Amino acid sequence: MPHIMTAAVLACALALTTACGSDDATEATPAGTVIEVTLADGQVTPAGDRVQAAAGEPITLRIDADVAGELHVHSVPESEIAFDAGTSEHEITIDQPGVVEVELHEPPLVVVQIEVR
Amino acid sequence: MRPLTGLLPDPAGDRSILAHGIGGAQDLPISPELAIAGAVAALTVSFTVLALAWRSPRYDAGLRGRPVPQALATLVDSPAFAVALRVLGFALFLFTAWTAVLGEDLLINPVFGMFYVLLWVGIVPASLLLGPVWKAISPVRTLHLLLGVVTGSDPGQGLRAYPARLGYWPAALGLLAFVWFELVYPQSNDLGSVRLWCAAYVAVMLVGGAVFCDAFYERADLFEVYSSLVARLSVWGRRDGELVVLSPLANLATVPVAPGLLGVVAVLFGSTAYDSFQDSSRWLRFTQAHLEWSRLLDNVGLLAFCVGVGVVFFVGCATTGVSPGQQRRALPDLFAHSVVPIIVGYIVAHYLSYFVEVGQQTVVLMSDPMSDGSNLFGTADLAVNYWLSYHPTLLAVTKVLTVVLGHVLGVVAAHDRAVSLLPRRHQVTGQLPLLVAMVAFTVGGLYLLFAA
Repeated sequence: MPHIMTAAVLACALALTTACGSDDATEATPAGTVIEVTLADGQVTPAGDRVQAAAGEPITLRIDADVAGELHVHSVPESEIAFDAGTSEHEITIDQPGVVEVELHEPPLVVVQIEVR
Repeated sequence: MRPLTGLLPDPAGDRSILAHGIGGAQDLPISPELAIAGAVAALTVSFTVLALAWRSPRYDAGLRGRPVPQALATLVDSPAFAVALRVLGFALFLFTAWTAVLGEDLLINPVFGMFYVLLWVGIVPASLLLGPVWKAISPVRTLHLLLGVVTGSDPGQGLRAYPARLGYWPAALGLLAFVWFELVYPQSNDLGSVRLWCAAYVAVMLVGGAVFCDAFYERADLFEVYSSLVARLSVWGRRDGELVVLSPLANLATVPVAPGLLGVVAVLFGSTAYDSFQDSSRWLRFTQAHLEWSRLLDNVGLLAFCVGVGVVFFVGCATTGVSPGQQRRALPDLFAHSVVPIIVGYIVAHYLSYFVEVGQQTVVLMSDPMSDGSNLFGTADLAVNYWLSYHPTLLAVTKVLTVVLGHVLGVVAAHDRAVSLLPRRHQVTGQLPLLVAMVAFTVGGLYLLFAA
């Protein structure tokens, strides 16, 4: 009897969890996510915000910086973006779904977390 | 979990950037629907078990199980098998020491993956499938035995008896030292730091083993305690020394109770939850806005999660009616085994894609331990399979299922212990606070999978 109970309880849990699990609502972002990054006096904005993007679609980083520097994009595979002082635009594409951090090299701060779906 | 993804060298051959501590892509958050479905399932199951399940203990009555086929028992119990496992463990230890001492301080050095992924994460699936693996391959136990042979002393004879009231506390501290090193210490990706941590671990284990002998490894070696605890959820057990297969729940009821068991489970669950939490955008923005405090905030955050889990569980266990003479404060350690399935479920959810993908990367890197382009094991040219990350819905559903399954096993284990420990009239009401604590852990874990 208790065996049956355990089985029933398990089945119930499975049914409940799978029932709603199929629609992983993808918030389709229009092709071409644009992220504005400002670096001034060692301060970076944004500083850790979430941004939505679509896998395989171009993501443009529009950088306005008072010094040259480097951004690390912790996607798979990794990539880096070297930028000069002034305004510049850089386009990246991320194919693999996941949360990808874009980190400034110096000072080591996370600029944005891109949710790639 | 922050350090290791994306550590393959890029084809252009510029490996210098890989010397920095870098994080990689993390799992997408699970959808709110999935999180809510999991929470509802956990809640429903909890109260169903409380209301309908058996009223006399099934698993505490004594170890059940059936003996394994004779051939398997003969093999597993043979001295040659034990020696082979020790040799295997020691070979892996020597390989790791070689890469740690003579390898280059680059993230393509496989030592990072072997330490943080194959050892720390791999210990869970290995123990779940095969039983107490670390005890069988533990290089510190092997070193202890070898030292005994060299010095002519009896390795089975310590200088002192291990103090019973220390219990698992040294292991809880050791686990905290590991998770602090992995999650909080800023230089956890430096080869020198990893080397120092491992050297300190081996030194403490050898001195402790010399003084207290085997009991020290059973209670104070963080890896052995972790592995042997998870192994109690496997189908492998021993009844009067005989190898048996039994249900994981029956096996779980045999976790040896000692002071500090609560500390061990609190550190394991609290630190994993903190690891999810520290990846959340909210925490990230907060710590980056208060940079001068970020080091302190990380330390306080980790400690708060571990202590918080311990306090919630303690209160959940201790607020029950007891029989005359029964001590409330003894109860949390007696119930702590029931958190193990919740921990394992959550660890699987937290680490699944990381273990599968960075684990593969590590196996690729292991062929080139000196970062000189060699291919020792023929794995250097293998490509990592990222299939799991490309199926985020499947991954999310799997994660929620393991969390809920862990919760169900935990609730059943706690119920069984409650009916064997608590006086009859408090058996239902006495379980309520504990049930609330467990639901809080599971729902909290699901929330972190959703929000982080």
